[in-house]
Amino acid sequence: MPLAAAQAADHGFIQVRQARKVYASGDKAVEALSDVSFDVARGEFIAILGPSGCGKSTLLMMCGGLEQATGGTIEIAGRPMTGPRTSIGIMFQDPTLLPWKTVLQNVMFPAHILRRPDAEYRDRAQQLVDMVGLHGFENKRPHELSGGMRQRVAICRALLNDPDILLMDEPFSALDAITRDEMNEALLDIWRHYGKTALFVTHSIREAALLADRVLVMTRRPATVVADIRVPFGRPRDISVTESPEFTRLCAELRGMIEHGGAARDRRPGDGPVLQPGRHGGQA
Amino acid sequence: MKGASERTLSFMLPMASAAVIAVAWQLAVELGDVPELILPTPSAIAAKLFGTLPSLLQQAAVTGREALAAFVLAVAAGFAGAAAISSSKILREIVYPAIVTLQLIPKVALAPLFVIFLGIDHEARITFAALLSFFPVLISTSVGLANTDLSALRLCRSLGASPWRTFWSVRVPFALPHFFSGMRISSTMAVTGVVIAEFISAREGLGFAILVAGARSQTAAAFAAIAVLCLLGLVLYGAVAGLERLAIRWYRG
Repeated sequence: MPLAAAQAADHGFIQVRQARKVYASGDKAVEALSDVSFDVARGEFIAILGPSGCGKSTLLMMCGGLEQATGGTIEIAGRPMTGPRTSIGIMFQDPTLLPWKTVLQNVMFPAHILRRPDAEYRDRAQQLVDMVGLHGFENKRPHELSGGMRQRVAICRALLNDPDILLMDEPFSALDAITRDEMNEALLDIWRHYGKTALFVTHSIREAALLADRVLVMTRRPATVVADIRVPFGRPRDISVTESPEFTRLCAELRGMIEHGGAARDRRPGDGPVLQPGRHGGQA
Repeated sequence: MKGASERTLSFMLPMASAAVIAVAWQLAVELGDVPELILPTPSAIAAKLFGTLPSLLQQAAVTGREALAAFVLAVAAGFAGAAAISSSKILREIVYPAIVTLQLIPKVALAPLFVIFLGIDHEARITFAALLSFFPVLISTSVGLANTDLSALRLCRSLGASPWRTFWSVRVPFALPHFFSGMRISSTMAVTGVVIAEFISAREGLGFAILVAGARSQTAAAFAAIAVLCLLGLVLYGAVAGLERLAIRWYRG
């Protein structure tokens, strides 16, 4: 990416404008996503929160170039999305590891499938594996790993190409609550370490509030973003933040928005710096 | 220890049951006074087998070579056909009905035609056996290729992988179990196909030996040739099963 474009795109690094997605289902058209607009600055961690079936995964796949928008535009780093890019790493709900490959081979898969020389990626792959705490498991197969470990491998794989953006589609939703907390902490560490721009789709209010700088709240009817909430906790953050009264209040507020729809759409992206710890900066 | 004794047991049990059947057969024929023309005793067959072993092995080599050639041809054609079918919807819609129709023809009925098409040499027999044995590979491999994990395919797409790379790196490995089960069936059909073809057009081979023994009412000789044929089929099947085990070990680690 040219430097000028990179600088220009820092604030609207990801720009989604009136994005729509309509599926043809038999004779009638089903609107999976209607009129979604938001901006993401470089380095921001955005959670997209909503009930299942609200189109949040569709939105994420559109940002990853795996789905085409029916209307509107999605620009990333100043260029409209037309298809998948190697500068975007994606984590799916299912870790999608190849059963015949070892942990390290699965992490190296993006290089392998594009016929890049292994030698260039091995050090980075090893470093990523160490980073997520899988040292010593390099030569294990996926069936020998726990669910949480598999998703750690999937994170490493998504980071192998050193992408600018990490897209995550409910990556921890199949894990038990304890493992999920562990994975959230691991993700906070990774995000601090690599500082990627991140879009994280979830239906867990707690997860969204714990991880994100901003939470985009989506509803089913209409299938759109109804609120854009800044999370008032600073960085570095860990799981203990969930014990604070502010956290409980934020969660209650987010829950209210999901239940009552778009009443609270007042904060716009780029409203100012990430708020300081302890200050509740959700709704005005 | 347990593994070793289990393996011994799984070897000993079939051997023991074969021995019991042979003894029962021997006794039934001797006590029932069955003429050797109808059913020779296992000992008479064994005597014939070892008495004519060099010539039987010579015939087996002919049949074995043809069956192996037919099998390799069938696997290659079946795999290529499955790859083509699974990569193009249009091709699938054109080819699949034709294949199913062809499958419905009793292919043994086609054997005499192959004499007309290809003469009475090795090529005709190999082609016929290959035709007989290629369907299982084609069908089960295309099922395997069609059932590739969808999320793995989405992953490949998100990484910008070419269809060619995706095919070899992801779809083929996912289809391997189906591919092997097709090959197993096909390996037995390749031997069957060659023997049928030898009945019709050969001057050599185990099928020919059986035909000749039958015509001369040498029942024991026919049984001896059939025994060698069984062994041949077992070797080919065993080779495929061994390959499959290697592949599974690679797959599972």
